[in-house]
Amino acid sequence: MSDPLTTNSEIVLECQALGYAVRETWLVRDISLSIARGERIGIVGPNGSGKSTLLKLLAGIMKPREGQVQLMGRALQGLNRREIAQTLAFVEQQADTLDAISVQDAVELGRTPWLSPVQPWSERDDEVVRHALQDVALAHLSTRAWKTLSGGERQRVHIARALAQTPQVLLLDEPTNHLDIRQQLALLKLVHGLPVTTVMALHDLNQALTCDRLAVMSSGRLVALGPPHDVLTPQQLQNTFGVAGRWLIDPVDGARMLRLEHLSEQERETHD
Amino acid sequence: MSRPISRLGLLARLIGSVTILAIAVLAGIAIGETAIEPSIVLQTLANKLWTAGYGLDPIDEGIVWSYRLPRTLVAGACGAGLAICGLILQALLRNPLAEPYLLGISAGASTGAVLIAVIGVGGGLISLPVGAFAGAVVAFGLVAILARTSRGASASSQIILAGIAGSQLFNALTAYLITKSASAEQARGIMFWLLGNLSGVRWSSVWMAIPAVAIALLVCFWYRRALDAFTFGSDSAASLGIPVRQTRTVLIACAAFVTAIMVSIVGSIGFVGLVIPHAVRLLVGSRHTRLVPTSALVGALFLISADILSRILIKGQVLPIGVITALIGAPVFALLLIRGARVR
Ligand SMILES: Nc1ncnc2c1ncn2[C@@H]1O[C@H](COP(=O)(O)OP(=O)(O)OP(=O)(O)O)[C@@H](O)[C@H]1O
Ligand SMILES: [Mg+2]
Repeated sequence: MSDPLTTNSEIVLECQALGYAVRETWLVRDISLSIARGERIGIVGPNGSGKSTLLKLLAGIMKPREGQVQLMGRALQGLNRREIAQTLAFVEQQADTLDAISVQDAVELGRTPWLSPVQPWSERDDEVVRHALQDVALAHLSTRAWKTLSGGERQRVHIARALAQTPQVLLLDEPTNHLDIRQQLALLKLVHGLPVTTVMALHDLNQALTCDRLAVMSSGRLVALGPPHDVLTPQQLQNTFGVAGRWLIDPVDGARMLRLEHLSEQERETHD
Repeated sequence: MSRPISRLGLLARLIGSVTILAIAVLAGIAIGETAIEPSIVLQTLANKLWTAGYGLDPIDEGIVWSYRLPRTLVAGACGAGLAICGLILQALLRNPLAEPYLLGISAGASTGAVLIAVIGVGGGLISLPVGAFAGAVVAFGLVAILARTSRGASASSQIILAGIAGSQLFNALTAYLITKSASAEQARGIMFWLLGNLSGVRWSSVWMAIPAVAIALLVCFWYRRALDAFTFGSDSAASLGIPVRQTRTVLIACAAFVTAIMVSIVGSIGFVGLVIPHAVRLLVGSRHTRLVPTSALVGALFLISADILSRILIKGQVLPIGVITALIGAPVFALLLIRGARVR
């Protein structure tokens, strides 16, 4: 078994001038980010702004046209897929299967980067899988067939599979999609409680406030990066999302939250 | 499900599989137009393998050793090979309909074989299997390019549509070559061969078919976890640490190689690659540690049985084996589907 990647530096994942294009169209361009160990980064932006593309580039699933990504201080191109997968796990926006697999099977797939053709499944693998299932509160469903699960349960299985990789960095693409509000909050709490560095794309801006830093994407560019309260200014909300936003304060505990309202095309122009 | 099977359990399964296969091969030799006593079959094998020196009728001995044994062994190898090919293609292309026949690989191999056999491409320097392999690779290459460049719908249905187009093209090419260049006699022979025919099989074919299947089986077993990792698609496989392009190249080349060898020996036999993996999934689940060996075993048993039937179904005549596989395969598959739907 190879040793997992390590670094002494605080920066676990970074990219410089990252760009990806299909033919002549740039889907994302000129993105530079440094993510420290234990940080929780949220990526926000309108539909089609390049969030999923950026995550796939960071996960090494797509090769950048420009720039590069470093994981644990090492260029992603110089690492093999197995080394990457032992360090970084990625949960896609949509991933489904027609195969008749059980929840247990799906989560066991997460051990793939730690096994080899000659290395049998061990007790430790069992242990990791059991923990992963417990972490997402799905232990009671372990024998259920994939196709009988609800959307939210499937999402949690995907996360358990990622956790079974025992990664140091976890990338999640809209993990709260399809979940009811209680499940959404439970999932965010779960993710934030994990002892890993997380980068996740989110649509709900109030939920994004729970992240340490937010990266705001617009038309493939990184237009703002910083603590949520600093980047989600009324001006930024109007420019990037085309909505009117105001900060409100909860009288009970003083927490700040966003009140968002639709802006008609006319209003958007007059405000500019 | 991936609990390691104990060494004892593994040994028991291995012995069980070999025994079942041996019984099937015995049946394949004993049953036919002239039935041969199992004891005579065993004595012949003992004579040939250990020079046991039983006194036997040389005609019986000849039928057993020179005709039926190689024929049955090739049938088994072919069934196992096609089943594994279907399994690989279904897993990698994420399409339950993927198999060498539907993807045009068999059609391409036929065209390649006919080019060598009828037109005489290569002037006798290129052997039939090499021609079939080249045809298989060219056909799959074309199908893959077509699937990739045509935009629209989902990628996995694209490859099947492209495969159907490819099959049509190569089947038409084969028909054209035969009509243009083959004599009537030759044409009838080739058409019969294209539908799947084990009559001409001799020992030389056995030495191609069995190593090819053994290699494919080992490669697939080596890549069993990678095949599992494609469950949620190729991006998901990549994020699980699988070098997707390399894995695909190796395994698809393996499938093309096995298909080509089988087509060059027995012609193209449909249905086995499609049905066996699905049937086996209903039996042992969808993890490749079990799917790979079980598919190979069931594929071998299926084609050996189909071959026996092809010899005894019509008195005095041998049916093309492809006809039998479809005739048995379709209803069995339907039954399994209905039962499977109820069980799950
Ligand atoms: N292969 C492709 N060819 C052309 N355009 C593409 C391709 N893949 C993605 N795009 C485009 O790139 C843009 C960014 O896509 P991406 O999926 O990264 O957006 P996103 O921010 O994740 O959106 P969403 O919030 O809807 O998930 C979109 O406009 C999309 O249409
Ligand atoms: Mg997206």
